[in-house]
This record gives sequence, structure tokens and C-alpha cells, in this order.
Amino acid sequence: MSRVANEDQVVDFVHAARAGKTPFEIVAGGTRRAVGRPLLDSKGADLPMLDVSGLSGIVKYEPAELIVTAQPATPLAEIKAVLAQKNQRLGFDPADWSMLLGSNGVATLAGAASCDASGSGKLRHGGARDSLLGFRAVNGLGESFRGGAKVVKNVTGFDLPKLMCGAFGTLGVLTELTFRVYPQPQFATTLCLSDVTPEDGFAHLRKIALSALEPAGLAYLPGNMLAESGQGAALIKLEGARQPLEEKIALAHGLLGNALRRIEDDPFAAIGSGEQFADIPGDIWRVMIARADAPRLAKELNVRHWLGDWAGAVLWMAADPSEAPRIRAIAAKANGQAMLLRGSAASRASLGLFAPQPHALAALNRSVKAAFDPLSLFNPGRL
Amino acid sequence: MLLPITNASIVARRAEIVAALKEIVPDGVVADPSGLATFDSDALSAYHQMPLVCVLPSNRQQVSDILKYAEGQGVPIVPRGAGTSLSGGALPREDGILIGMGRMKRIIEIDYENGCVVVEPGVTNMNITKAVEANGFYYAPDPSSQIACTIGGNVAENSGGLHCLKYGLTTNNLLGVTMVLPGGEIVTLGGKSGAQGGLDLLGVITGSEGLLGVVVEVVVKILRKAPVTRTLMASFDTVPAAGACVAAIIADGVVPAAMEFMDRRAAEAIEDFNQPGYPKGAEAILIIDADGVQADVAYAVSRVIAIVAQCGGKTVEATDEKQRARIWSGRKAAFAAMGRLAPDMICMDGTIPRHALPQVLEEMAKLSEHYGLGFCNVFHAGDGNLHPLIIFDTMKDGEFERAEAFGADILRLCVKVGGVLSGEHGIGVEKRDLMIDMFTTAELEQQGRVKCAFDAQGLFNPGKVFPTLSACVEQGHIHVHGAQLPHPHLPRY
Ligand SMILES: Cc1cc2nc3c(=O)[nH]c(=O)nc-3n(C[C@H](O)[C@H](O)[C@H](O)COP(=O)(O)OP(=O)(O)OC[C@H]3O[C@@H](n4cnc5c(N)ncnc54)[C@H](O)[C@@H]3O)c2cc1C
Repeated sequence: MSRVANEDQVVDFVHAARAGKTPFEIVAGGTRRAVGRPLLDSKGADLPMLDVSGLSGIVKYEPAELIVTAQPATPLAEIKAVLAQKNQRLGFDPADWSMLLGSNGVATLAGAASCDASGSGKLRHGGARDSLLGFRAVNGLGESFRGGAKVVKNVTGFDLPKLMCGAFGTLGVLTELTFRVYPQPQFATTLCLSDVTPEDGFAHLRKIALSALEPAGLAYLPGNMLAESGQGAALIKLEGARQPLEEKIALAHGLLGNALRRIEDDPFAAIGSGEQFADIPGDIWRVMIARADAPRLAKELNVRHWLGDWAGAVLWMAADPSEAPRIRAIAAKANGQAMLLRGSAASRASLGLFAPQPHALAALNRSVKAAFDPLSLFNPGRL
Repeated sequence: MLLPITNASIVARRAEIVAALKEIVPDGVVADPSGLATFDSDALSAYHQMPLVCVLPSNRQQVSDILKYAEGQGVPIVPRGAGTSLSGGALPREDGILIGMGRMKRIIEIDYENGCVVVEPGVTNMNITKAVEANGFYYAPDPSSQIACTIGGNVAENSGGLHCLKYGLTTNNLLGVTMVLPGGEIVTLGGKSGAQGGLDLLGVITGSEGLLGVVVEVVVKILRKAPVTRTLMASFDTVPAAGACVAAIIADGVVPAAMEFMDRRAAEAIEDFNQPGYPKGAEAILIIDADGVQADVAYAVSRVIAIVAQCGGKTVEATDEKQRARIWSGRKAAFAAMGRLAPDMICMDGTIPRHALPQVLEEMAKLSEHYGLGFCNVFHAGDGNLHPLIIFDTMKDGEFERAEAFGADILRLCVKVGGVLSGEHGIGVEKRDLMIDMFTTAELEQQGRVKCAFDAQGLFNPGKVFPTLSACVEQGHIHVHGAQLPHPHLPRY
């Protein structure tokens, strides 16, 4: 394992890896190492690691510009705390998967962005890709380069920040990231509609999604995923300054009726991070679909432990490894994507993170990967 | 600006190419000079070039067949939507096929439950909103060209609009596209689920200025109209005070739906033009929209009024919908209004960090003196996106060249203070040669390799966005003079 402390050392490391044609694994906080295909060399041994955890800390925080620039391994907790002091938050809702994946590492900014790990708040502000404005990275040629910029609006050249989000570290070693930040709403409340079927529950959530209430979370949990009995519950998170929030709550009552009640705790942190599934055995899937298909697909998928977030656009579920082909087939038929978020090394090796893409699209993904990393040095095969 | 050398051997094969295209699209090939003349430029009217031929496909299979043919023959392709690009993105090539998407303008599906609309690329931005507004919905990105520009063009330019401060650019409102790659393969990226199951190629397609393929279908999000919108006008005695106020509003945590700035010269020209009732005598004016539920808007409005007062400004609020519309119609007519001050103008589009606003405004005034050319400032202040309008007269010796040099200096200034060359209009041919001021060689090569991953033969919109280092031949500038702006009926940005 090699530790680096600055970008120059990353450049040197990549040059050496190029010369020796040795692919490697990029590790920051290490919490998401168990996502995607295991990284092994041809003899089945672990790949060498590039440890970038030393590239940590906020480089520049400009609250008035709504921008923060940080090194890649900056802990999510640190950045959230610093922004909170100025009543701001990251432009996306980063999800910490460490509990789900059984890791005791530290979730970092670059890890969340690279894995496109967005929690329930994606509904409101989009994913990491919608708020990563710019970055610095080292490509597979050992060149450091910039993508995007440090302003909120930019169409100068290709939008490379989008590509870096969700690339699972396969395109470059990120050395700096600039994110958009937003004001933190003063208050948040979760409303709950209990004992509703998936059909009704998701229909209620869509009603709120289609309203002007700008909800920050919309999830449906079946009864067995809740501490209460009954068929299941629709959960609605609303935010704002005190009066606007009260108005939104009243409007929500107007839309869904008076059975809606406030609950004390915010359940969305646990929902968005997959914590709900941490103790449930089996493979854990995130099935991304058109939200209106959620009740039908939940029924068809027919697993014991599941929930729907993003108003139904993502179904989380636990399933026996033998169920994988069925899950992938159902997702594919619905034009969705079934992502294997947690699985045994064997499942991950055989299934990959996503189902194989159609031929032309797969070829295009490969050429874009090669445009950054022609020797396939970075996290080879993970995506 | 220098344009790339024409491949004479392609031009020599013109008749054969026209015939082949007629086989593919029997009713959609334009080859006669008068027909082609309508396509010889986009809204960057300083540049004109007749295309080799123009083809207007009506379905994706035809697009695929055209691209397959073009690749086999090594003929360049220039995609075109409505031709409202302000950066010359749709400027034809003498040796290239112009592929116009205007006939593919079906709204394929309106899906309220999934909050999206599926359309062909030639549907205008406005027609998406029109299709859903009766039910209280709209498509958020609202370029001022929205009655004419196509969604395909919006995807290619990642267009913004007055309200992208709160609602984002095209890229934040897209769920999927289907596109035909160079060579004719058809791929779908994302869809109603928004998920791609691989690299975020949708992200890199958006804003790629027609360099990576032809978009043939688009899935966009639609939003519920906010129940309440209120509009404020704030006037200031000095430009720096207005600049400071913009920064203070953003820093306060208020996210207005729109926040627009105009200086005295722009405001006066607009007042003369269509009398929106702008405050007299102010050195700078801000127009601010707040939208949302009633209490949200009330809160935002009260904060804005307080902050404006702290910054030494005065606020008035539009009393009704009619006045709101008048205030905005003034802003949207800025270009036309300025057009009356001089025969010609060009519109720049840099973005800067908001704190650099006072410095940039001051330096632009110095540049204006240096070049002896007038200009005015209107811009999307909330997100630091400047649109300085430079006014000049091509008939006066050297003024066009001076105007271009002035514009280039403004953009270099934007880059110097940490900003970028383009916030929403794209690079096209207009800013191509300035890319080296913003990016290192390694950075340009990295982007070039992305281009090659899609378009190995380099046939897609060559000569746009990236500086061509090979020999170029200068084409004459033919400039539309007087009031003959392209799309004169459109409000500007
Ligand atoms: C009066 C006026 C006001 C404007 N206001 C704004 C504004 O407020 N905000 C803003 O962002 N822009 C604005 N613009 C710029 C322009 O309208 C936008 O860039 C618009 O998106 C261009 O769309 P179009 O259909 O006219 O595309 P075109 O001009 O025809 O083409 C633009 C680019 O897109 C490519 N392209 C077009 N269609 C496709 C396709 N189907 N597949 C692949 N590539 C394609 C072309 O090759 C070209 O590079 C304004 C322009 C004018 C003239």
C-alpha cells in the first residue's frame, strides 16, 4: 500500500504503475471497497492499493459563493459540520454506506461522489453529479488535469464532472473537488401516513412529488420494515423556515387528508444510507426504476425485506443470491437498473455492479474509460 | 476567427452525396442555393457558410442511415436545431452535411405520474411547457429564445435561462436521451428512471455542442408551477452597491427563482424601447423573482427588501401579474433595445465568482474606453453569468475586429478572476480559440480523447469548441448589417 500526501505524489505513483503495467485500487476512507467487482490480479490476489486518505481537508469554503472546495478524502462528517456552522449543506445528500457494508472506515467526499451515493434528498436537489462543479484529478497517463470550474454555471468544454460522479474511481484519481452548497433549511418535519398498501402509499407519495411542496424525502416502508404493525407507511419529509413549513404541512394535509401525523425522529438518514438493511442477510439491491412502476414491481419482485425511496424511483431490497437473475430480469423489463450494492465476493464477481449493457453502449463506455485510462490501471473491472 | 480548411474532394463529390441522401430521405434534401441560404448561419450572425447539402430526416432510422453513409464516405456532419445558437455551434461547413432536426417535433408521451415528458429533438422548449401547462406543470429551463429553440439544441448547449438559479440548467432537468452515434449506432442513455447502469454519458452529452452524435429523443422532467410568484425591482445609486447586494442576498440563504442585473445604459435603452416602468436615474437595477408556497415567498421577499435597504437600494414590488409581465418583458427585450443604439452588437457570456463582480465591472469599463466601443451590462446576477453587450458599427473601419477583441478581453478577464468562457451559450466557433486561455494542453487533450471515444473519425461538427491547431484558412466575414438580426421576433437571452 502506498500513501500519498499531495497531487505530485499521485502523479509519480501513476507513472510508476504505468511503467510496471500494474493496475491498482484507489482507497480513501475505505468504506465502499466492498461495492462492485472485487479487484484482483490475474492470480486472484488483491491489487496494490493507492491510499489517498492523506489528501484530506477543506481547501476553500466560500459561503457567499455557495461553493466549497475540498480534498478527496475529507470526511463527510467534517464537511457537513463545517457547512452547518454557516447554515449550509452540500448540494447533494451524500449517503454513508459504512453500516450497510460493515465497514469501520470513514466515509469521504470523493467516495460518495465516485459511487454516486445519494440518499433520500436526491429527490430535491439531484445527485452528486448535479452539484459537483469542478475537480482536479490525475488520469491514466499520469497527467493532472481539471474538469469543470469553480463557478455555478459553466458550459465551457465537456462536462467532465458528471463523468467522474458514478465512475467508481475508474477514470482518474480525484485530488480535489468543488461542490455547490445550499442554505440549510431551518426546520424539517416528517409526516407519516400509517397502515397503507404499497399501491396507495406510493400513489400518495407521487401526489406530493407532483405538488409544489418541494419535498426532501418521500419513502414507503412495508410494515415489517417499521417498528409498528399494519401494512406499511408513507413517509414525507418537508423543510423550510418555521412559517413556510407550517404552510407546507397544512397543504400536505389538504392533499392527503388528516390521517397524516407528524413523527418525532427523522427516519430518512437510515433509509437513504441502507442502514435499514444492515442486519438483514442476503444480497442488497438498489433497483432504480420509473417511480410509477414501484408498486407493481415491488409485488413482482416479491421479497420479504424491501422499501421504496425517491417516491418509488428506487427500491431497496434484500434477496437470496439465487434470486439475482430474476431481479435483474424484472429490472431490465421495466427499463430500470438493478445495482448490487452489497453481496458476497462471489456474487459481486459474477454479477457485477450493474447488468451488462447493450453492445453499442458497452463499447462506448469502454472507449470513454480508455480516453482517461488507456491501460486500465484504476479500479479495473469495478464498474 | 479562422475556419477549418474545406476538403475539396468532398465538395467535388457533391452531386453523388446529394443523390445518396435523397435515397435515404426522399422528401427532405435541400440542395438548391436559395434553399440552402436559409441555413447558412445561426444567431452568431457574423459568420456565414453555405452547407454542402442540408438533410431533414423525419425519424431516427433515417438519422442512423445518414450517419452510416457519412462515416463510410468520410463526410463531416453538422447537427442543427432551430439555429438560435449564439456561439456558431450550428454554423455549416462547405464540405459537410447539415442535418436539421426540425421535422422531428412530435411530443411522444406526457407522463404526469413519472413527472416527465418524452419528445423528439425538434420540439421547441416552449412547446414542452405548452403541452403540460393546462395541468399546472412546466419545463423549468427557460432560455429567452424558448419559443424558437429546440430541446435537442438545449441538450447540445446545456442551455439555461432566467430561472436556472433555482431550478438548474438543462442537465439538471434531463432524465434520458436516445442518440445516434457517428456511424449510425443508436444508444439510449437513461430514461424515465434516470439510471444509466454505467458511466454518466448523459452528463457528458449534455452541453457537447453537437460534437458527439445526434440526439433523436429526449426525456425531460416537468415541475408543478409554484403557487405564488412575486417580483421585486431594486434600484441602486452605484453599480458596486448592486453587486454587493447580489452577494449579500445569496449569502443570506435566500434562493430567488431569478435575480437579474442591468446597468443604467441597458435600463434606459429598454425603457425607451418598451416602457416596462424601470426606476429612473438608477445606476443599476436588480429584478428578483421569488416563488414557492406563500409563506416561503413572503419570507424571501421580506429578506430581500431588508438586504436591499442595507445595501443602500430601494425596492418596489410588482402589484399584479400584468406589471410582473411588463417588468420581465423589458428584461427579455434587452438585446432588441440595445440594437437601437448602434447597428451591430455582440453578446458575451462569461461566468465569474460573484465576489469578483465589482472588479470585473470596473475593468470592463476600462476596456470599453480602451477599445472606444460602447457596451452595456445585463446579466444573470444570481449565478454570476455575465452578458455584456458590445455595440459597434461594421461599416466603420475596424470596428468589428475591435468588438471581437474587446469581447475576447472580457472573457479572458472572466477566466483571470476564476470564472469561465461560457455560462450557457457554448463555445462554438466564437470562443474556440480562447479555450487555450482556460485549459492546459493536457486538459484540452483529455477532452479531445473523450471526443474521439465517440467520434473516432472526427466527423462531428469539426472546427467547433476545440482550437484546431492545424492550418486554417480565413473565410471572409459577412455581417448582417442594420436591424437585420436573425430571429428578430425573439426576446434576447
Ligand atoms: C434571442 C436569443 C436568446 C437566447 N437566450 C438564451 C438564454 O436565455 N439562455 C441560453 O442558454 N441560451 C440562449 N440563447 C442561445 C440558444 O437559443 C440556445 O443555445 C439554444 O439551446 C439553441 O437551440 P437551437 O435549437 O436553436 O440549436 P442550434 O442553434 O440549431 O444548435 C446549437 C448546437 O446544438 C447542436 N444541435 C442541435 N440539435 C442537435 C441534436 N438534435 N443533436 C445533437 N446536436 C444538436 C448544433 O450542432 C449546435 O452545436 C439565445 C439565443 C437567441 C438567438
